[in-house]
Amino acid sequence: MVSDQKPLGSWSVKQGQIITCPAVCNFQTREYIVVHDNKVLRIWNNEDVNLDKVFKATLSAEVYRILSVQGTEPLVLFKEGAVRGLEALLADPQQKIETVISDEEVIKWTKFFIVFRHPVLIFITEKHGNYFAYVQMFNSRILTKYTLLLGQDENSVIESFTASVDRKFISLMSLSSDGCIYETLIPIRPTDPEKNQTLVRSLLLKAVVSGNTRNGVALTALDQDHIAVLGSPQAASKECLSVWNIKFQTLQTSKELPQGTSGQLWYYGENLFMLHGKSLTVIPYKCEVSSLAGALGKLKHGQDPGTHVMPRFVNWETPQGCGLGFQNSEQSRRILRRRKIEVSLQPEVPPSKQLLSTIMEDSEKHIEVEVRKFLALKQTPDFHTVIGDTVTGLLERCKAEPSFYPRNCLMQLIQTHVLSYSLCPDLMEIALIKKDVQLLQLCLQQFPDIPESVTCACLKIFLSIGDDSLQETDVSMESVFDYSNSVHDEKMEEQTEILQNGFSPEEDKCSNCDQELNKKPQDETKESTSCPVVPKRAALLNAILHSAYSETFLLPHLKDIPAQHITLFLKYLYFLYLKCSENATMTLPGIHPPTLNQIMDWICLLLDANFTVVVMMPEAKRLLINLYKLVKSQISVYSELNKIEVSFRELQKLNQEKNNRGLYSIEVLELF
Amino acid sequence: MGEFKVHRVRFFNYVPSGIRCVAYNNQSNRLAVSRTDGTVEVYNLSANYFQEKFFPGHESRATEALCWAEGQRLFSAGLNGEIMEYDLQALNIKYAVDVFGGPIWSMAVSPSGSQLLVGCEDGSVKLFQITPDKIQFERNFDRQKSRILSLSWHPSGTHVAAGSIDYISVFDVKSGSAIHKMIVDRQHMGVSKRKCIVWGVAFLSDGTVISVDSAGKVQFWDSATGTLVKSHLIANADVQSIAVAERRLISCSKKRQLLLFQFAHHLELWRLGSTVATGKNGDTLPLSKNADHLLHLKTKGPENIICSCISPCGSWIACSTVSRFFLYRLNYEHDNISLKRVSKMPPFLRCALQILFSEDSTKLFVASNQGALHIVQLSGGSFKHLHAFQPQSGTVEAMCLLAVSSDGNWLAASGTSAGVHVYNVKQLKLHCTVPAYNFPVTAMAIAPNTNNLVIAHSDQQVFEYSIPDKQYTDWSRTVQKQGFHHLWLQRDTPITHISFHPKRPMHILLHDAYMFCIIDKSLPLPNDKTLLYNPFPPTNESDVVRRRTAHAFKISKIYKPLLFMDLLDERTLVAVERPLDDIIAQLPPPIKKKKFGT
Repeated sequence: MVSDQKPLGSWSVKQGQIITCPAVCNFQTREYIVVHDNKVLRIWNNEDVNLDKVFKATLSAEVYRILSVQGTEPLVLFKEGAVRGLEALLADPQQKIETVISDEEVIKWTKFFIVFRHPVLIFITEKHGNYFAYVQMFNSRILTKYTLLLGQDENSVIESFTASVDRKFISLMSLSSDGCIYETLIPIRPTDPEKNQTLVRSLLLKAVVSGNTRNGVALTALDQDHIAVLGSPQAASKECLSVWNIKFQTLQTSKELPQGTSGQLWYYGENLFMLHGKSLTVIPYKCEVSSLAGALGKLKHGQDPGTHVMPRFVNWETPQGCGLGFQNSEQSRRILRRRKIEVSLQPEVPPSKQLLSTIMEDSEKHIEVEVRKFLALKQTPDFHTVIGDTVTGLLERCKAEPSFYPRNCLMQLIQTHVLSYSLCPDLMEIALIKKDVQLLQLCLQQFPDIPESVTCACLKIFLSIGDDSLQETDVSMESVFDYSNSVHDEKMEEQTEILQNGFSPEEDKCSNCDQELNKKPQDETKESTSCPVVPKRAALLNAILHSAYSETFLLPHLKDIPAQHITLFLKYLYFLYLKCSENATMTLPGIHPPTLNQIMDWICLLLDANFTVVVMMPEAKRLLINLYKLVKSQISVYSELNKIEVSFRELQKLNQEKNNRGLYSIEVLELF
Repeated sequence: MGEFKVHRVRFFNYVPSGIRCVAYNNQSNRLAVSRTDGTVEVYNLSANYFQEKFFPGHESRATEALCWAEGQRLFSAGLNGEIMEYDLQALNIKYAVDVFGGPIWSMAVSPSGSQLLVGCEDGSVKLFQITPDKIQFERNFDRQKSRILSLSWHPSGTHVAAGSIDYISVFDVKSGSAIHKMIVDRQHMGVSKRKCIVWGVAFLSDGTVISVDSAGKVQFWDSATGTLVKSHLIANADVQSIAVAERRLISCSKKRQLLLFQFAHHLELWRLGSTVATGKNGDTLPLSKNADHLLHLKTKGPENIICSCISPCGSWIACSTVSRFFLYRLNYEHDNISLKRVSKMPPFLRCALQILFSEDSTKLFVASNQGALHIVQLSGGSFKHLHAFQPQSGTVEAMCLLAVSSDGNWLAASGTSAGVHVYNVKQLKLHCTVPAYNFPVTAMAIAPNTNNLVIAHSDQQVFEYSIPDKQYTDWSRTVQKQGFHHLWLQRDTPITHISFHPKRPMHILLHDAYMFCIIDKSLPLPNDKTLLYNPFPPTNESDVVRRRTAHAFKISKIYKPLLFMDLLDERTLVAVERPLDDIIAQLPPPIKKKKFGT
């Protein structure tokens, strides 16, 4: 907002006169130029106060615009299409002005560029729904006329134009009434200036503004890759300013303008100027170098997905942008680029090609050999893509042939650390069907992005799979400490007496509500010290405990687990908690054990999700009582800690008082 | 080395007054500071930030602005509506000019240093020409609506920005007319404050005016167009700085174990307590008698006390303000004290910068601000003016440090820049002048028996000069040859007091704000490799090791910040501390701001 800024100067024409052309600044002389009543030119500078007394020239034809850019003299564009330099015009204001455009042809828009230090003027005219572009070169005094073909959308009206230049082309962008932005490339150096040429426009961005808003639509090019659009994105929504990256077709940023705009937008010196309500709003905007990473964050949904079939595996290591320049044609460059990527995805490297063909036909054994061979090579530049393609190929074959399940291959591929759940969601799906807990454990350990529903499905299998079938599997026991070690057991039991964490299952003081428990002290001791699940299942459950999740997404899935499994899992968690509380650091032994926080979080999650079910189960009663005691003891531990803190604070205070000896004392000092 | 009973005194309830404004002189690297009580101090930043000069305050003078003008001239302006120039040689106020604009809120010297601009309560901005010996009113600028709180010259001297209430004016100096008026937004965090006071403005060479205001904004303005360029909201916090003055505010009577504390408008006399217990190092001994507050002497009038002193015998107290000199006779009858003011003090004693009694309390030495040193004979309840040492012709430099030898024969006096003069009190003539040194003297004392004058300078150098021999002593030469320990030289507070042990002639006792040190001249000097300060008592090291590592500097850092430390008798020291927490506790609340983790 610039409302608190002061205007530096203000001038007005006499009553009855109408300003017909925006005032511009002549950068060479520091003067301002304005046209009123179509033909009267006024030139003044900062010192002039009254516009009526400044230099005046009455011209012989009506002026459309005065155009001024830094570094050259201003140009006057007449409504009939003729162009004059300001100096030449002022030398003889009454000179005859020729007519360039035909009858009923109206200038719609114009822009003035400097290309290779030569001024170039472009203006767009309209006649009966047909649009024409005129390009005036001043170094050669050539005027070229082009007819703009609107393509399939013949009856749309163009609402706003903007243009940017590069070496060869003026890129004319137009915002049509259908809400789409089209691009037309106009060559700066015409091939055949005499002939009337036609130009085709191509779709640049679809539906950036709602087609049926009538006011406040404008666009302006910010740089090669960015355009700013003013207008309402949907019919009902408020008007807003949006900056689009046309290279990646993404919305870079957008800002709502609730007070409405007038369809005028300028970009000057990294500032966007627009009318917002009754004030002029200035928004500083600097275009960052267009990069995919920057463009990704704000990708707008709702663009037709058909045109955006992204290849699943993109190889970032092989350069792709090269060669585009040579094939530059009138066609959209993006399509070309996309094709180029697709081409590069076809594996050309012999070993990988061979591998892929192997996958499709050969036996599991042979595939395993080939995969191993390929993995031994490893350092090929397209390693990632090949691994991805291999897994996809294998999984597709798995789906097609139910008997085909190259487990070892898949394990090896997972261990390459280049896969993730989102790259091959089918992998875990198949493993779940096959109840391959070993593979699932590996996936849980390797993939960072497993959805909560899949985690939960894994948990279901881990809890329900029979002990006998577990015996056959070869799960990683890394996270499990041998809890059944009897020697250790005794030692631990001793330790529980020490009350390291303030919690003891034997402690009766706080168990006033569980006579049941008092009846079976033996049983409880047993429960607290022996693991309720076999070590292999423990290892699988630990993998679940280690996996990342979001509570909100996990909770609904946890409700689907049968109550007895929930109880089993809770027992296991409770057991882990007891083991944790046995040592002062509150950690479990082992290489990669679950942490106390993970254990506590899962206990809470399970209870949250299934409390009403669990509370009704007679066999879970004791567990709940134990958990209740656990919480209670934790609360008492914390209250004890608080008490200790208070005592410590008192001690600290006493210590301070000792240092602060009051106002007067006699002390002994000895200097050595 | 020495075991002492230390009277650790923390009841000196001294709170330095807040700093109102500062002015820095680039050429001489001096900082002038004015305090809320009207005191103006000049710090020499090249001499280890030593407080070099001091002008006593006055209740009616609230200094709002300080300026250095061409030729190292210091001006101040305040709410009494006067511009004052300070005489930095004689340490008094040269003259005061009423500007007739009501209280003055701001003052700025032109970039050339020849013009002075003041902003007044009535909204006027007045331009003064600085003449060689005075200032002369030149012109009024366009009168503004309300008081002018801040002023800043454009470096070219053609324009001036003035901060007022709710707006900033830009003046053309030539015509005196306001060419722009920039309205400051009153809004503060969305809340409209009643008034927005522009506390400070700065005019940059490119024409940008920067303002800071009571709404907590820092704003950048274009003075050519009068438009706001940029606005930053910063945290609104009034910062009051504090700095403890290094002046002598404490004197002690060794014989009666009395302490005299000097405040801006009163004196306090305290008697130290006693103990019969003994103990080992670090022990706090039980008191058999606590310290007593004996007297509370209030001065009349608006002027601040410049200096004060209690005689070693405890029967005389002298103090001085700018216009008056007071001398009191104290009589002790058991626990009762009676006080009698000695009347008819001669007028030349007023505005004393330093007062000192001789060891036997029979003579009073007064350094006046005209550079003269007066000797007054005290006997019974009366006094007799004995002599005045007039400053050497042509100099008016005021003496602000005095030291007298214990036999009463020698008087050393030091000014702010020239060397130390030593007078023979018996013969009433100048005995010698210690060669001038680049850095001001911060403390000096004459050792008993040897009559060696020990001088500490603000660069932490200590010299020993033999008065009878009129030359530096051998020890002093050795020290200069070898140099002080680098940590000694890195200390940032000056030595403020030097004393001697009556029974140990080789010891020099000195202290600064953070340490107390005994220099044993008989021990070797420490070199940069040895540990200067060892806070731990020696453990059972062999004598050989101890002798090898022992050096001349015995330092204790137990007492801090130390305002005063002196030897009462052979085994007793008195240390006056002013714990910073106690000062902070008395400051207005916003001063204490919690920083991260502190």
